[in-house]
Amino acid sequence: MAVTSEVFDAAERTAQGKARRSAIEDRAFYLLTLVSAIFVVVMLLGVMVSLIVGAWPALEKFGLGFVWQQRWSPVKEIFGALAPIYGTLITSIIAMIIGIPVSFGIAIFLTEICPPALRRPIGVAIELLAGIPSIIYGLWGFFFLAPFLAANVQPFLDATLAHIPVVGLLFVDSGSGLNLMTAGIILAIMVLPFIASITRDVFLTVPVLLRESAYGMGMTTWEVVRHIVIPYTRIGLVGGIMLGLGRALGETMAVTFVIGNSYVIHPSLLKPATTISASIANEFTEATSGLYTSSLIALGLVLFVITFAVLAIAKWLLVRSDVK
Amino acid sequence: MSVDSRRKTTNIVALGLSVLATAVGLFFLAAILVTLVIKGFSAISPTLFIENTPPPGDDGGLLNAIFGSLAMTSVAIAVATPIGILAGTYLSEYSRGSRLAEVAKFINDILLSAPSIIIGLFVYTVLVVPFGHFSAWAGAAALGLIALPVINRTTQDMLALVPSALREAAAALGTPRWKTMTFVIYRAARSGILTGVLLAIARITGETAPLLFTSLSNQFWSTNLGAPMANLPVVIFQFALSPYDDWQKLAWGGALLITVAILAINIIARALAGKQQS
Repeated sequence: MAVTSEVFDAAERTAQGKARRSAIEDRAFYLLTLVSAIFVVVMLLGVMVSLIVGAWPALEKFGLGFVWQQRWSPVKEIFGALAPIYGTLITSIIAMIIGIPVSFGIAIFLTEICPPALRRPIGVAIELLAGIPSIIYGLWGFFFLAPFLAANVQPFLDATLAHIPVVGLLFVDSGSGLNLMTAGIILAIMVLPFIASITRDVFLTVPVLLRESAYGMGMTTWEVVRHIVIPYTRIGLVGGIMLGLGRALGETMAVTFVIGNSYVIHPSLLKPATTISASIANEFTEATSGLYTSSLIALGLVLFVITFAVLAIAKWLLVRSDVK
Repeated sequence: MSVDSRRKTTNIVALGLSVLATAVGLFFLAAILVTLVIKGFSAISPTLFIENTPPPGDDGGLLNAIFGSLAMTSVAIAVATPIGILAGTYLSEYSRGSRLAEVAKFINDILLSAPSIIIGLFVYTVLVVPFGHFSAWAGAAALGLIALPVINRTTQDMLALVPSALREAAAALGTPRWKTMTFVIYRAARSGILTGVLLAIARITGETAPLLFTSLSNQFWSTNLGAPMANLPVVIFQFALSPYDDWQKLAWGGALLITVAILAINIIARALAGKQQS
């Protein structure tokens, strides 16, 4: 039956051809996805390498002393990062001191107190607010918060707190609303929706059984939060805080508007200062010499190292506590 | 005071504080939005959309900036979307237990929240320095790099929601894997992946820092992607800090436009994501 076997052979050949073709196509698609995934990794490496290369001339000239040298003088070509690093840390600390308790309050309200009907709308509103770009916060801070604080709050702080020894130094008024405290407050408002929504998600990972048993034992709502919810979720909470901190440290526009741009480190929170991101945003396009540009990129490198560490810790903690 | 009444008092005080915290938080956030709407609305007029950014003391609009933002966002999204979806596909479908995938997922999440100004510095050294001038291409590249991790991450999450029965059914029919992905799985996860793209658009629409030294800005109408191009965030930044009333007014108008656009995109994205999960 030669004819039949020929038909079979032909069919087999087509089938083999088809299988081979789809194997090749499969391989090609797989490689395409693989290359895209590698692209993401290469980008981060690219960011690192480009920052190190760009910062090299400055690091070579000033050495590691760049990090603790205070003087920043474009005219004399002497650059030290201490003032921007100081400003970045202080504004972020202020933001966290205000932002963490308020966000926790919001999260407790949303998970334990709020009537169920309002839970979703308020939760959604807070998540939407987290999406508003930082330049809007900066704009508002510049036109409203800074003048308001300068006119009403700062003279009061200066009059009441500035006489206390040591602590008083923090509250010596400069007359201008563009200062560390204003920047810290704006940052706090900005990270608020962010930390609050993560904290709420973390609180919701507490098994209902655990919560209900605690209520069943006669615990008050606050005791349930204090002794059950917070201990159970502490790793995730710290992760959420670190994520917010990472955001505050690297935030540019909200701060650039209200920081006042001064490289003088002054103990008072009511004096103008600068942060790493604000320095880069303000001066990068004006930097005329190679060393000036390189020093600004070196500032970027410092910021990258700090935020990378903070974000990596945040990520690690959040993975451990199963928050999506 | 008995133990019980002390516990009750503590409870009331603590809960009262948390209600207060919510009130304070929402008050500030509402204050920002209300100011934005009031200041922004008075700046919105037809001229805003038909005239270019004016010289100081003159009337004008934001047409060139609106166009620039749309153009750079479109280019950024057009490039970041396929790469992000493919990378998400690898990380979610092809990489079970692979070391590379663990690293790539971790790095993607870092990029997701990395300071955007650093992305700007990177693009500056790679795309501005070698060409010797600022350009809209560089701006679009910076925005694309910020959009990429968002799309990548959402694709991973959304593909994970597609039931494996679909993959198994396709495999049982002898469907090649890439066809299963493109004709079955992507289709099943379509609205979820679209959500990711929308979230990425919302994210990059307001980004200012990475554009400051990539696309910079341009006072005039320009469609040349090889040259500096005006864009809403940078124009808002420059105009707000200027001493001219007209410019400050335009800055508020632009700020309102951006915020409304972002809120609208976010709301659509949530509606789509809700559809995906049900």
